[in-house]
Amino acid sequence: MGTLDRRTLLTRGGAFAAMSAASGVIGTPLIAQARTLRVGSYGGYFENSFKEHVFPAFTAATGITVESVTQPNSSDWLVTMQQATAAGSVPTDISLYARDTMIKASRLGGLIKTLDISKVPASANLDPYFVFDAGQGPLGVGAMSWFTAMVINPTEVSQAPASWADFWDSSKYEASLGLSKNFNALFLDIAAATFFDGGETFATDEGILAVIAKVAELKPNVALWWSAESQMEQAMKNGDVIGGQYYLDVSNLMAAEGFPIRPIFPKEGNPQDYGSWCLSAISDKDAEAAEFMNFSSDPATQALMSRKIGTAPLVAREKTDLTDDEFAFTSGAPAIKPAYEAYLDKETFIKEAWDKMVAGA
Amino acid sequence: MTVVGHIRPAADDAPPRPERAALRWRALGLAITLLLWTVVLVLCLVPLALVLVISVGQKVEGAGWEWGFTAENYIRFLVGAQWPAETTFLYLTQLYWSMRYAVVASVIAVVTALPFTYLMTRQSRRAQALWLVFLLATLSLSEVFIVMGWDIILSNNSGLPMLFAASGLTDWLKATGWFDVLRDWGLANPRNVKFKTSEFATVLTMSYLVWPYAVILLYPALSRLDPSLAEAARTMGARPWTVARTVILPAVRLPLLGAVLLLFVFLLGGYVAVTVFADPAKHTTAVSVYEHVRGSTLNAPFGAAQSVILLVTAAVFLVIGHRLSRTSRGGG
Repeated sequence: MGTLDRRTLLTRGGAFAAMSAASGVIGTPLIAQARTLRVGSYGGYFENSFKEHVFPAFTAATGITVESVTQPNSSDWLVTMQQATAAGSVPTDISLYARDTMIKASRLGGLIKTLDISKVPASANLDPYFVFDAGQGPLGVGAMSWFTAMVINPTEVSQAPASWADFWDSSKYEASLGLSKNFNALFLDIAAATFFDGGETFATDEGILAVIAKVAELKPNVALWWSAESQMEQAMKNGDVIGGQYYLDVSNLMAAEGFPIRPIFPKEGNPQDYGSWCLSAISDKDAEAAEFMNFSSDPATQALMSRKIGTAPLVAREKTDLTDDEFAFTSGAPAIKPAYEAYLDKETFIKEAWDKMVAGA
Repeated sequence: MTVVGHIRPAADDAPPRPERAALRWRALGLAITLLLWTVVLVLCLVPLALVLVISVGQKVEGAGWEWGFTAENYIRFLVGAQWPAETTFLYLTQLYWSMRYAVVASVIAVVTALPFTYLMTRQSRRAQALWLVFLLATLSLSEVFIVMGWDIILSNNSGLPMLFAASGLTDWLKATGWFDVLRDWGLANPRNVKFKTSEFATVLTMSYLVWPYAVILLYPALSRLDPSLAEAARTMGARPWTVARTVILPAVRLPLLGAVLLLFVFLLGGYVAVTVFADPAKHTTAVSVYEHVRGSTLNAPFGAAQSVILLVTAAVFLVIGHRLSRTSRGGG
């Protein structure tokens, strides 16, 4: 159950973070000799797994103690960090940012520090795409990734769809699907990959509007436009919907608990999003942070996170010792790369056009 | 000789004179007044001023926002961000749904609470006290908790749709053709009836949420109602409905209007019930405010502009309500 909370912890994260920040300040003089590092993660099951499995392994390897800080997985955290940076004291040294949030942070400026990537040699294990550089040097090192998958209720849908296009068939799915209500929850990327030219379609306003119009055709089949992860979880469990988009790892966890849900990789694939470790601009823990990012990029750590947290590894599968089942639990192919830049450059336009479509206004 | 010079030497040896004590009390009173004003200023006016100032701020695409002085957030609320190239009434529609839910739900709550409260006031004092304690206790249930409860009651596998299917009602509806009507109304999918998402579920939950408030608001007026008035009307041959219409209702007209207004303002900001039970086509301004302020676009200025408009709308309704109650008081 805990893992289901991790992305929905948006509102509470700030308060927790503030509390952790206060305790961090009080605790500092007592452990001044020891090397420490404050690392943010998304709370709930997710953070607990980090505290239980990943941070201790890091401490054993390097002698650096990690203090875990709860943060939300949303742009909210940027506001908290902006205010904290202005006040001269941040709640955490390393934050975990999804790619769009990280790009936004780099554009806001003064929030994250450029990294000396030579101190993070293991980052060579990652695809260069996962070491983000906005032009002034590397700003974030990939931490882990997660998929938004096509899901169905196997007891209601006897034949698993081979393509996302099947969801547009009202004879099978009338008022039966659950999709995210957020414009940037990557369903546009799915529709673009299924009916258009994928990411390239986002280059023009006309392209974006065409994709949105295609999603509009799906509306009669949507019973639930969910805004919180738990809404979709409940709807799948209750039979209010029999398919839709949902997180791959959580779907697999639910299936393992016996609920009627099955994630599928249709021929167009599923969108892959990922988180990055970023160092606060006013943190002086450069050396410790580099060691942490280096440890995180190690294939063994990537495999450990897959097993214990359910995230997809950012290194090639052959570099890890994950079994077929373990790998399939968190990952799959093909992966759709989200059109992050378009979502940011045209955010007001896309959000309003999407909201209009969803509202039918 | 000044007053201060006169008082000071006396303070060392003589007991405080009456005027000195009065002065001290007045100073204390002044301090309390000052404190109250500070509290009002810090807790109400400063945040409100901040919202106003932010609402004219400037959105930076792909990043956050910055201080500015622009009307574009208000213009966007009226005609959309792409205006004049394109016009959308998306945000006005949301304001309309805010109003509609709040009006319908508060009226339903007050109208159903009225007979209940009236019958309650005719009970023994002990029974009344028990009912009031019970209703006050239900107020401790938060909106989230109540919505969760209704969510389960209306769910396919655990609630009413399950009862419909198990009792054969679904099959009966399908056989008689009513099922297709329900599908047209959005209250069924090909397999069974469905109550989420629907306006029905949203209004139901919202009026349920404020129902105890309606009872508590109507209770004082109804319990003060003199039973002999109704009895007199009955002895003169009036039927119960006539008594209710001509004696009881006119006597509680003002509390009724007051209760509706209060619940209306309360429901205007309702968030959880709408996000869970309403179709996105029928979402409200409160939901949109939250999405813009806390959502990924970090568009606090537009969120602030929307809340200012919501606030103004609530104020307009309150003024109209106040006028109405004054006219009706004058007429009665």
